[in-house]
Amino acid sequence: MSSQNRGDREIDIFVEQFISQLKRRQLSGSHAVALATAQLLLRFVSAARWNHIDSLVKDIRALGVRLVQTAPKEIACRNIVSRVLTLIREEQHGHKAENGGLSGSMLGLLEKNDKKEEVLDKAALRQANRDIRPYIIEGIQDLIDEVANIEENIAKMSVDEIHDNQIILTPTPASETVLLFLLKAARKRNFTVLVTEGFPNQIDAAHNMVEKLTKAGVEAIIIPDAAVYAVMSKVGRVIMGTSTVLANGGCLSSAGSALVCATATQHSTPVVVLTAIYKLSPVYPFDVPSMIEIGSSAQVADYSDSEIVEGFQVFNPLADYVPPEDIQIYNTNIGEFSPAFIYRIVLDHYSDAGNL
Amino acid sequence: MAKFDIKETYLRFLRDDPDITMPVAAIEALVQLLSETETSTSAELIQTLKEASAELKTSVDNSMSLSAGCDLFMRFVLRNIREYGDWEACKGHLVKNGRLFAERSKAARKTISEKGLAFVRDDDVILVHSFSRTVLALLEHAAKNLVRFRVFVTEAAPSDQGKRMAKALRERGIPVSLIVDNAVGSVIDEVSKVFCGAEGVAESGGVINHVGSYQIAVLAKNANKPFYVVTESHKFVRIFPLAQADLPDTKKMFHFTVEEPEEQNADKGLSPVVDFTPHDYITALITDLGVLTPSGVSEELIKMWYE
Repeated sequence: MSSQNRGDREIDIFVEQFISQLKRRQLSGSHAVALATAQLLLRFVSAARWNHIDSLVKDIRALGVRLVQTAPKEIACRNIVSRVLTLIREEQHGHKAENGGLSGSMLGLLEKNDKKEEVLDKAALRQANRDIRPYIIEGIQDLIDEVANIEENIAKMSVDEIHDNQIILTPTPASETVLLFLLKAARKRNFTVLVTEGFPNQIDAAHNMVEKLTKAGVEAIIIPDAAVYAVMSKVGRVIMGTSTVLANGGCLSSAGSALVCATATQHSTPVVVLTAIYKLSPVYPFDVPSMIEIGSSAQVADYSDSEIVEGFQVFNPLADYVPPEDIQIYNTNIGEFSPAFIYRIVLDHYSDAGNL
Repeated sequence: MAKFDIKETYLRFLRDDPDITMPVAAIEALVQLLSETETSTSAELIQTLKEASAELKTSVDNSMSLSAGCDLFMRFVLRNIREYGDWEACKGHLVKNGRLFAERSKAARKTISEKGLAFVRDDDVILVHSFSRTVLALLEHAAKNLVRFRVFVTEAAPSDQGKRMAKALRERGIPVSLIVDNAVGSVIDEVSKVFCGAEGVAESGGVINHVGSYQIAVLAKNANKPFYVVTESHKFVRIFPLAQADLPDTKKMFHFTVEEPEEQNADKGLSPVVDFTPHDYITALITDLGVLTPSGVSEELIKMWYE
């Protein structure tokens, strides 16, 4: 009894630690958050005790709601919890949700399914009684592997995506995925990369990216954000990273990228978004302002400058919402998809069971 | 035995139950036909059904919506004959559960209102064109969930179905402003999103709906407002209209004349009752299968016909 209590306490401490890390933003960025969330859930499931699978689902959902309330803008966190809930549901019923999470097909109106449902329910009952913990843990392990090894799969397509002597523009210098993608292409292709400066939040990241690309022999140039329109006519492709892909095919990316994508659309320049499947979210952008995090204004106006600080309101949004009309294609670890198809992949990966 | 009148049966189903949709009424009529006719071979049966649905499609004006039901039913029958071979049991199931389909289609409306709930937000001003049971169900569900929103309803001439919609919404405690169709442009800036129903959804994802939907969709796109179609999936039809003239029901020639008609509203009767809104103007379709982009419609249709 006492050892079990100790187990409970340990996981509680771990959860609290995780939450305070999220709060202090010691843990940020979709990749790190997704990985950490999956690992947290792995420990949670291993430590949890349950009589019926429903109580486990309830506990995980409660934990998920808490995490989402802690960091509502880290959508990767919500995604992973939803994925795990979907996974448990699938294990519980012993099969993948039929029709890829859609609630039936057009013929559902006529089909006689009452009998089938009954049989299914019996099977579900039998399934629920077996111990599915190892299967759930295995599923979460797979999810962790998926999150950890994602960049390689996305970078595979880089040689097809980039041509020799092409000029590439990227508005997301902080994206590891974009950097790896470009570095991989650099082994076989000779091209130029324009990196937007991303004032004020991404200047360091931009310098860092240009430095790494130059070392790999790629011609890389930092351009001021205001120069995007001027150079766009020469750009062959805009390649960018994202923090979250939304169910309507739009995405959230670093501040300034919406402007770049709108400019690219104006010039009919293709916009390619690199993303891993775990960034896909079942969330619709009903309320865009609520999804955009506002950063410290000190980056724009120094607090020591009393005239400015007293006289003006300074905003520093960290992200932009890019509408689906401004994106040509999503390059993911499981293939390339048009924004109009994203809803389908979302339905494939999340079920109603994953709703928080 | 008197010859079975498929059109009369179809119209009777529509009259008897105001909540039933045209495709479901068509299915019910075909089921009724099945129960009243004896067929000895499956070929004869297919022939009977084919003739009946062809008759239904040609004899009823504005047949796009009901043809979705006929096609769905034919597909179901063919699938069962070819794939399962137990046609008799299937027929028994269909005839026995005639009323079940109507119930299920109403349940579909409930599913739609659940899936679409998040699309209605506090402080929204929603523009609704004409009367639609699905839109009504969705808005009613949202109001029950304590979402506070207001609705512009267009009168929807020449049928004036908008007045019916406004009345129904007000009865459910939803604040409504009824506007004339010509006022859409002047209110579009106040609107946060547009909802409309559909009589049929074409394979491209475009919709056939009460006349006036197209111009509202164009205005909405111009003003950057989302245009959502709220519809049941049994209204998806395998047609691919490229322009208004491709709709079977708008083929009748417009009447140009220099003579003043004797009756006052004679011109009104000649205007088309439905129009086609191409997929480019539609943000998303809220259906019982989930929230689809227009391209998702063709995928569902392909799944039904080729899998």
